[in-house]
Amino acid sequence: MTEQGSAGIASEVVEQGTLCTFEEVCISCNVNPDWVAGLVEQGAIDAVGSTRAEWRFTAVSLIRVAKARRLERDLGLNLPGIALALDLLDRLDALHARLRSLQERRGSTG
Amino acid sequence: MDYKDYYKALGLERTAAQDEIKTAFRKLARKYHPDVNKEAGAEARFKEVSEAYEVLSDPEKRAAYDQLGRDWQAGQEFRPPPGWSEGYEFSGRSFERGGGFSDFFESLFGGLDRRGERGEPPFRGEAAFRARGEDHHARILIGLRDAFTGATRQVSLHAPQVDDTGHVVLRDRTLNVQIPKGVTEGQHIRLKGQGAPGIGGAPAGDLYLEVAFKPDPLYRVDGHDLYLHLPVAPWEAALGASVRMPTPTGPIMLRIPPGSAQGRKLRVRGRGIPGAEPGDLYGVLQVALPPADTEAARKVYEEMARALPFDPRAGLGE
Repeated sequence: MTEQGSAGIASEVVEQGTLCTFEEVCISCNVNPDWVAGLVEQGAIDAVGSTRAEWRFTAVSLIRVAKARRLERDLGLNLPGIALALDLLDRLDALHARLRSLQERRGSTG
Repeated sequence: MDYKDYYKALGLERTAAQDEIKTAFRKLARKYHPDVNKEAGAEARFKEVSEAYEVLSDPEKRAAYDQLGRDWQAGQEFRPPPGWSEGYEFSGRSFERGGGFSDFFESLFGGLDRRGERGEPPFRGEAAFRARGEDHHARILIGLRDAFTGATRQVSLHAPQVDDTGHVVLRDRTLNVQIPKGVTEGQHIRLKGQGAPGIGGAPAGDLYLEVAFKPDPLYRVDGHDLYLHLPVAPWEAALGASVRMPTPTGPIMLRIPPGSAQGRKLRVRGRGIPGAEPGDLYGVLQVALPPADTEAARKVYEEMARALPFDPRAGLGE
């Protein structure tokens, strides 16, 4: 199926500040509420608020939940494993960024 | 279509036990998972091993695949034998993993295995028979210049869809997507209503695209900022100069202050990726030495050696 058109489908940048509810996250990622609550309990994603009804998540958390679900589905990870993998991936990203800026400072052309 | 050697894809012999198949898949999946490995080719390799595992991990499918025989070579032109799949009952196990399996897989197992079951029951929220569709996620690769001007780019997606008979099939879908001006690497853009269809008349989910830039020959991107290696002559760095520097929106004249050293970063405010708070462009000075390949050039270097009390290794001690 191809949707052709000269205009193109309008899109918007997902801003850091956009908040969604617990239920919205579960529907968005098609996941069980207890599983998402488990991610929060592990500290793998950040929730603002103290009860499930009050929880609010940033759009960035929503993308993180989707990634967590792929890791579970494709690699068979459990919740602590997902939390560890997400932390390590964050650190890897930070190290890559640092490596790039160091290369910059040394004036290498890489 | 090409024959696929699923054993080779997992690095296994045809005699491998089910446990070995699982272990081989787990190892390769961890290595090539697109969320873990951002290198080019990783995603294709992950799909290849997922497809191989989908077949070899299921004793029914494995038996059917083995029945094709040992004489096939990977990449060889393949057509399913007549009467293929008769007598085999494939259990309806869903595979949304990776998505977009090969034509070879489709010809052998397509249409038999699409019952639309999911690994887990969808969460339906309050209303039992009305549910907003799931959001989908994919990645989009754009040029740096697209972020400056905005652009329309085509994205090809494999997405599960329900066909007329109620089976879930994977369809290729091409969307023309407007890339908003000012988007930068690692950001996500949302396409409303382009995710999975809703149930019972509820709205469709959204499609999220993670933005990545194609490598640019001139500029390195860091958030909204850009870095450019700017070669300068030793006298331009030492005495100061005004030099022509490219920017993504056209060249400018950049003032080099006198006494600039190698690696000095000169900021051009607001010439990075545009936005509410536009990024900056940094010219990183690279002092280029003129070759001493003529008598005149050698004379100048000799003159400098005599006239300048300069020890480049003064900082090394001893």
